[in-house]
Amino acid sequence: MKTFGYFLLFLLLAVIVIILAAVLGDLGAWYFAWLVGTVMIVLVAAAGAALLDAQEEQGSAGPRPRAGPGSGQG
Amino acid sequence: MHDITVVDLSRLQFAVTVLYHFLFVPLTLGLSFLLAAMETVYVVTGKAIYREMAQFWGKLFMINFALGVATGLTMEFQFGTNWSFYSSFVGDIFGAPLAIEGLMAFFMESTFVGLMVFGWQRLSRGQHLAVTWLVALGSNLSALWILIANSFMQDPHGAFFNPTTMRMELDSFTQLVFNADAQSKFVHTSIAGYVTAAIFVAGISAYYMLKRRHLDLARRSFRMAALFGVLATMGVITLGDALGFVAAQAQPAKLAAMEGLWQTEAAPMPFNLIAFPDQHAQDNRGVLQVPYLLSLLVTHSIHGSMPGFDTLQTEAIGRIEAGIPAVQALQALSKDRHDAAALARFNAHREDLGYGFLVQRYAPDVGKATPRQIRQAARDSIPPVAAVFWSFRLMVALGLAMLAFFVLAVLYTLRNRVQERRWFLKLAVWMLPVPFLANEMGWLVAELGRQPWTVYHVLPTWMSASTHGVAYMVFSLAGFVLLYTLFIVIEMVLMVRAIREGPPAPGAGAAYAAATPVAAAPSGYLED
Repeated sequence: MKTFGYFLLFLLLAVIVIILAAVLGDLGAWYFAWLVGTVMIVLVAAAGAALLDAQEEQGSAGPRPRAGPGSGQG
Repeated sequence: MHDITVVDLSRLQFAVTVLYHFLFVPLTLGLSFLLAAMETVYVVTGKAIYREMAQFWGKLFMINFALGVATGLTMEFQFGTNWSFYSSFVGDIFGAPLAIEGLMAFFMESTFVGLMVFGWQRLSRGQHLAVTWLVALGSNLSALWILIANSFMQDPHGAFFNPTTMRMELDSFTQLVFNADAQSKFVHTSIAGYVTAAIFVAGISAYYMLKRRHLDLARRSFRMAALFGVLATMGVITLGDALGFVAAQAQPAKLAAMEGLWQTEAAPMPFNLIAFPDQHAQDNRGVLQVPYLLSLLVTHSIHGSMPGFDTLQTEAIGRIEAGIPAVQALQALSKDRHDAAALARFNAHREDLGYGFLVQRYAPDVGKATPRQIRQAARDSIPPVAAVFWSFRLMVALGLAMLAFFVLAVLYTLRNRVQERRWFLKLAVWMLPVPFLANEMGWLVAELGRQPWTVYHVLPTWMSASTHGVAYMVFSLAGFVLLYTLFIVIEMVLMVRAIREGPPAPGAGAAYAAATPVAAAPSGYLED
């Protein structure tokens, strides 16, 4: 039920974005570009921070041993 | 008849207040979204460092926000006090976006700012994040409405002049809002704010790294600012190009001033990289050109061309001559609004009414305007070329410098090497004033390039001002300069103090909570 709720929420969001794209794209491409671009810029900045956390965790864990031929990762 | 000294002093007063105000606004626009980015990471990862970041940068945001509001309030009153004829002439159109901006700024934005500052302990994480996003959206949407109003002055759409009421009236709200100039200018200005905030955060983070203080906060803030800034700078440059493309259609005189284009040239036109425009001689000195580039920049085609001031001035003479009957018809209609012949004559020449007003400065009875006065009025249709030309070049040069800075910043920070590059950290600190200067230059290009009009091709600046005395204008101008300089000093003192103090040490939550407005809870707010 929870999954279905998320499905409906994201479907609704997708429909809103498509309608916004259609209406604003016709009337004004730059307003729509601002909406999409701002969200993208914020998310890329956020992803950069998450990447820094991952780099630090990897660094503090020390160098990882190379996978051997029998490890199944090679 | 208007005293031109009073008109010039009114212009200077508005320019001074806007230039002060525009030091604060872009940082608010951009920093609000950077705060939203930091808090988004906090909510997603649950790591307390990101809440600490959001709260620390939020404190600096609040200092800037408060002074931005204080400097902005007087500007809207100036339309009524110093530009009363303008307000009466276009108030029906100009008032609508300004009123919406007031609602956005004072109801939506300010309400959510209050919740953002005092809501850390009262709202859930998700609710607080939503509030922070709404602050960012609200501040940018209030800028949107100001820029829609400004774009009506640059390229008026969605309105017509009613000769019966002697005012302009709104006939299409959609055209007003979706004006091409409004769209490109809003996005250009908003994203310029993102760049400003990114340089601000990167510069202060670099300062902490140089001092080896608050390293966790500084490195994360720098990483986020670098990525935020590199994308935003690319966006600003793209939108700057779009804005130039729009101006080429709607404001050819502004574009000719930006490029120092006195004579119309055949395509492909060269770009004046360096030149010293001489307004009196209507020529450039000391020119250094790049072949073909201007056609590509302005028309996006190597075969494209645009008119120089020689062509524009000839067109202006024709439009002034066509505008004179419109002004005469308007004078007849002001005596008898039912004069059908005058109305028909007005409608035949209404497109050139503004040009008729241009010559009225020299010939109050426009029917007696001499060819010399008409030529003088046509000459007035050229904006101050040297100021526009060099403001534009300085803005572009600073924009490109910021792009180069952010590309390097991203390279260093993604490799996690930025702390080792002390020269780069010092450069980041020195970059702090650059976006502010670029923003001011951008404003000068937009508004000086609009001269001699308050509403482009419709209402000349010389007849838009109120009829104050010179002494009153000098006194109020001096008052504004003193007051606003004081505001700048207060902002600098508060900012420097907050930056030196820095964020609280981990575990010092209670002391910090008591000392700062961003966290109201007594203890434990850093613990998750």
